[in-house]
Amino acid sequence: MVLMIDTTTNHIGKVISGELLRIGKNATGFELIDTTGMHISHCVGCNYCWLKTPGVCAIQDDYEPILRKINKADQVWLISDTRFGFVSWQTKNIVDRILPLATMYLKFKDGQMRHVMRYNHQPDFGIIYTGDGDQAYLERWCQRTALNFERRSLGVFSESRGKEAVSCML
Amino acid sequence: MHVVIINGSPRVQKYSNTDKIIAVFAKGLSEKGNTFETYAISNRKTWDIIRDAYIKNDEILIALPLYVECVPGLLLEFLETLPEKDARTRLSFLLQSGFAEGCQLRCGEAFLAKLPEYLGVRYGGCLVKGDNFAIRFLDEEKQVQITKPYQAMGKLFAEGDGFLREEAKKFTGPEYFSLPMRLIIGLMHKTLAKKMLQKVAASLGCRAPLDKKVWETNSGYTE
Repeated sequence: MVLMIDTTTNHIGKVISGELLRIGKNATGFELIDTTGMHISHCVGCNYCWLKTPGVCAIQDDYEPILRKINKADQVWLISDTRFGFVSWQTKNIVDRILPLATMYLKFKDGQMRHVMRYNHQPDFGIIYTGDGDQAYLERWCQRTALNFERRSLGVFSESRGKEAVSCML
Repeated sequence: MHVVIINGSPRVQKYSNTDKIIAVFAKGLSEKGNTFETYAISNRKTWDIIRDAYIKNDEILIALPLYVECVPGLLLEFLETLPEKDARTRLSFLLQSGFAEGCQLRCGEAFLAKLPEYLGVRYGGCLVKGDNFAIRFLDEEKQVQITKPYQAMGKLFAEGDGFLREEAKKFTGPEYFSLPMRLIIGLMHKTLAKKMLQKVAASLGCRAPLDKKVWETNSGYTE
């Protein structure tokens, strides 16, 4: 299952999903979430999802259904505008609130400390961005983010390279 | 020197580890008559005041926790509201995290090293240190003990070179743990640390296992 989470002001996820359908991806094999109009708070760092209500975020807004889908997806594509060369704060909020998928327990993996995952299945992560993104930095960040979930980066693609991203979704 | 210190943590100030670090850092900073003013972005109602302080001052320090390999979303949102300034302003960072190894913070540090250029200001370096997760759960005496080293970094900052000196770079500690250390720490996390975390959780009113697979039973949260 491919999950695309689109926070862009121009809703470019629609174009990406249109391309996916055009080249033959079955519509049941992917889902596009456009966060326009949704209320998604930032992570407040309360640690409740680790220490008080394990696995459950204390903030009750529109995020939990998204997190449930992230938990089941094989690929998660963050479709984001950029600022300071990085993803938008809207996209970063979505990533920051992924923590309920990890537990507070720690272990070493490949020489670095990692959180023990709450569930057996984790998705790979990719980025499609608009604007003046810092390609090298976004690649580094995407790799590191995926590493935290013991998964891999699917790559980072500017909007103009959307077709390349789509080819990774098949 | 007068420094505007902005706490970039989204956590409410009362429970903010970053806030406790700032307090100790500021002690060192002010030892020789330097002054400072502190703000916290966790309260959106103060953003106009913080922005005004950023505009009117030339020595700015943002202290922040690492959130998924970079800066917290809320801080990104605040940064977007800042106007462009010029190189008379110097922007430095104090980046802290839960993970102890220096390697865990380098991706966040790399973003912060480039950020001043986007804002039109000068970079004053980034003080990087992990192993701070537990601060807020410790008693006052232990909090003092664990944050004490930041006082020396406040003194160093007051000498005028931001965090660009070698002493600031060494402050991070080990980049990776050696294999024997990993074995010892790994064992601790399977035993003592687990028990300690369960105790902390119980003190917060949690009765569920910390590794509960909430959604696999599709039962929602009932504890």
